[in-house]
Amino acid sequence: MANVRDKNLKTAMVLFTVVAGMVGLAFASVPLYRIFCQVTGLGGTPGVQASAPEVKTDTDFIVRFDANTNPDLPWKFKPVQREVHLKLGEEKLAFYEATNMSDKPITGTATFNVTPLKAGQFFVKIDCFCFTEQTLEPGQTIDMPVTFYVDPEIYNKVNTRDVKTITLSYTFYPKEEEEGKVSALSQPSKAGEKG
Amino acid sequence: MRNKLKTFLPALIGAMLTFGPAMAGPAGEVRSAPWQMWLQEPASPTADRIVAFNAQLMVIETLIVIFVLGLMAYIAIRFNAKRNPTPSKTTHNTLLEVVWTVVPILILVGIAVPSLKHLYFADRIPEADMTLKITGNQWYWNYNYPDNGDFSFDSIIVADADLKEGQPRLLTVDNKVVLPVETNIRLLMTSNDVIHNWALPSLSVKLDTMPGRINETWTRIHEKYVGKTIYGMCSELCGVNHGFMPIAIEAVSKEDFEKWVKEAQQKFASDDTKTDDKVRLADAGATR
Amino acid sequence: MANAADAHHDDHGHDDHYPGFFSRWFCSTNHKDIGTVYLYLSMFAAIVGGGMSWYIRLELAEPGIQHIDDFQFYNVLLTAHGFLMVFFVVMPAMIGGFGNWFVPLMIGAPDMAFPRMNNISLWLTFAGLGMLLISAFVGSGVGTGWTVYPPLSSGIYHPSAAVDFGILSLHLAGAASILGAINFIVTIFNMRAPGMTMHKMPLFVWSILVTAFLLLLALPVLAGALTMLLTDRNFGTHFFDPAGGGDPILWQHLFWFFGHPEVYIIILPAFGIISQIVSTFSKKPVFGYLGMAYAMAAIGVVGFVVWAHHMYTVGLDVDTRAYFTAATMVIAVPTGVKIFSWLATMWGGSIDFKTPMLYAFGFIFLFVVGGVTGVTLANSSADLVFHDTYFVVAHFHYVMAIAAIFAMFGAWYYWIGKMSGKQYSEGLGKLQFWVFFVGVNLLFFPQHFAGLAGMPRRIPDYPDAYAGWNYISSVGALITAIGTVLFFVILFRTYAAGSKAEQNPWGEGATTLEWHVPSPAPFHTFEDQPDMSGKAPAE
Repeated sequence: MANVRDKNLKTAMVLFTVVAGMVGLAFASVPLYRIFCQVTGLGGTPGVQASAPEVKTDTDFIVRFDANTNPDLPWKFKPVQREVHLKLGEEKLAFYEATNMSDKPITGTATFNVTPLKAGQFFVKIDCFCFTEQTLEPGQTIDMPVTFYVDPEIYNKVNTRDVKTITLSYTFYPKEEEEGKVSALSQPSKAGEKG
Repeated sequence: MRNKLKTFLPALIGAMLTFGPAMAGPAGEVRSAPWQMWLQEPASPTADRIVAFNAQLMVIETLIVIFVLGLMAYIAIRFNAKRNPTPSKTTHNTLLEVVWTVVPILILVGIAVPSLKHLYFADRIPEADMTLKITGNQWYWNYNYPDNGDFSFDSIIVADADLKEGQPRLLTVDNKVVLPVETNIRLLMTSNDVIHNWALPSLSVKLDTMPGRINETWTRIHEKYVGKTIYGMCSELCGVNHGFMPIAIEAVSKEDFEKWVKEAQQKFASDDTKTDDKVRLADAGATR
Repeated sequence: MANAADAHHDDHGHDDHYPGFFSRWFCSTNHKDIGTVYLYLSMFAAIVGGGMSWYIRLELAEPGIQHIDDFQFYNVLLTAHGFLMVFFVVMPAMIGGFGNWFVPLMIGAPDMAFPRMNNISLWLTFAGLGMLLISAFVGSGVGTGWTVYPPLSSGIYHPSAAVDFGILSLHLAGAASILGAINFIVTIFNMRAPGMTMHKMPLFVWSILVTAFLLLLALPVLAGALTMLLTDRNFGTHFFDPAGGGDPILWQHLFWFFGHPEVYIIILPAFGIISQIVSTFSKKPVFGYLGMAYAMAAIGVVGFVVWAHHMYTVGLDVDTRAYFTAATMVIAVPTGVKIFSWLATMWGGSIDFKTPMLYAFGFIFLFVVGGVTGVTLANSSADLVFHDTYFVVAHFHYVMAIAAIFAMFGAWYYWIGKMSGKQYSEGLGKLQFWVFFVGVNLLFFPQHFAGLAGMPRRIPDYPDAYAGWNYISSVGALITAIGTVLFFVILFRTYAAGSKAEQNPWGEGATTLEWHVPSPAPFHTFEDQPDMSGKAPAE
């Protein structure tokens, strides 16, 4: 009987370790997910490089620009140009413009992605304002630059050979502390909550 | 011959189901008819393929169900205790086990090949002639035409009490999305709050609108839908009025679209649709 | 025969010394008693969860809003209905209830490996149920669907503590299931009667073993995700909040990585039950025993790599969707093997269509119906018109609410004599089967049409065109309710006035070890384990 008890406890220990391992994996999924998207470009995650490649081709390409502003951020945010025409491999500069429409200084940060999603790994940003906090004084307008290129490899892959246009999108959010203050002012009752 | 059968039979069944007891919506309206048993009529190239593919799937699956039902009916009658008092002892038959493993694999491969073909077709965004930007909100849609003057407007459900004669309940909106037929349209979508989903069954468009990112797909409305309204509904639970934020697309000719754009640029000239937010949210709940 | 002698020996064993009421029912370390309490928990939750769905069907019977004009409450109902049925009806009944009762009996073990941990699992499950019910009364309740997607479930859009209670509920129920899974695996690996190799275990035991592994691997991931949601809501993290660099899609990946194995957790024990019933009433061993056991294992393994077929419309890359389409379709192969094996088991048999067999027969056919619509949904291209419509609702209710519930009813009728010592009335049982059969088919089949025609799910009111099928579906719900009431009538009658159950009421087809002990099974059984070497697989 004692023999069975020992065996049971040993087996149980192994299984508890498995459980702990799976919990660990769940939490590890957070950085793993981010790294996976960055490496593969899945989900429209653009790549990041220090500079454009040597190769520059003659193939025409279009990059469009999209801008979104979270309703809690009282900014006007839009691309200065709707689209740019460029060659594959050519480094290009584009601008977004943001204006603080409120009467107090606000800090915002932006998230971004690229569509079509499969083109993510071929759209490479060299310099941009994403996730750098931008603080605007009341009424202030600033121009925000983005430098990028489209990797000519895009035409070597079967899936992406048909892509002729990529859309780059940014969404601006108020930074944490700001969010609380702004929400209280501008937010009507949300989600029909009776509270 | 097999190919012809493969397309003819499902097409026949699909046609019977679509035009038989289950009609399309009323004239000029692309939406479900009462007692409809099949998909809504396809109004885009993607939808053509998907409706046809679904018809093929339905045929295969119905045959499988009938086959199993037939076997079970036979079993119930033939191997009833009264009729078969002595049970056999058979517990193995290698050939049989191989067959019922391999045949399903073949059927599944037969399904997967066209399935993936359609998947990649729907994903291949052709050169777009224009772009429609869709933003989901609790609980209405906002539409933006970046290439046609960059104007925006909200599209909000019309409450039951305010419906006019002939307007369908829970599908009618104040400002329809106007789109030209026979035009490749890039669809960009995002959300201002929670996850919504922009869905038009007859275009086979269905894509989540996520806060903080854009998703992209495309569509193209067939010529024959000129003058018709195509309907859809939000397809991701987004709060209390999830069932009350419909989509209505008015398909027009290219010329009429240009005319409408000019009017819309005047009508929706204000850069700042956000000021109306409070009013919109308060009204959105009152749908009855 | 050695077994009869063992049973006789047990009779004289400890039956005279049942613990006192509180000890026996609240501090139990007896697998049979714990199994019994799980079954009662499941029946209670079924009444509550079923009641919610009948209220929903009452509202959806006609277009317009007649009864539920608080749409947050409507969303709370559909959310709670889902949680209750999955976590507090099917799982406690099949794993906690029938698993606890019959796994030790079927392997000739005196009890589970860790009897006290077994009791902990039971009361954690009760606590989880309590938290879920409380959540409905906190703030405006949890109105997110059982999938709890952020941002809707985040602190901005569900500011009250209701979602936090829901998260706590799932943590408790999840912990209960993880501990239970460990208990089952250890018991099955280490405590089989001598001579009972793994390849001689009954298929029900196999099904619980595979299920336990799925629980072990999937539930911790849910726990991790729930904790992340909890900290996002209360402690300033941004796992799923794009404003802070997080991603709502990460929640979906984590949830469905758990969620898909979860549906196999729901159905695998049902597969095991059906194998036992079909074999018993056909008076033949199950056809292709090894194929059946390993098909279940294959379904379990493949079930872990198909999760994103629940996410085809979130904006996944086309290659990702292509992979998940292919992988999902693979599962149809081992499932088909099982269906055909059951048919081959019945083929040549001498079939007694008693109530358990009626349910098993119904299971096989209706699971095939639900399964083929699953093949349609597996295709990400086709799914474009079905995602989030009533077609999906019809599919999962066919495989879960019909098939799995049929297995549960079948198991109850099959084993109630052994559990209680009283036998049910065969005439009433057959009647209940037919009423329930008609009810659930009328309830769920029309929902396929509503979905095909474009009706979305999770809405309290619908465009007028969908009225016809919704009305029929609601009538079906009423008939199902009558069938359910009828079941409880049978249950009470059996306990109050059922005829004495024989040790083996089912004859030569019932070969597993539970039929070698008296009915009702004594408090302690197989204290001396029987010698199974040289015996054929009991299947």
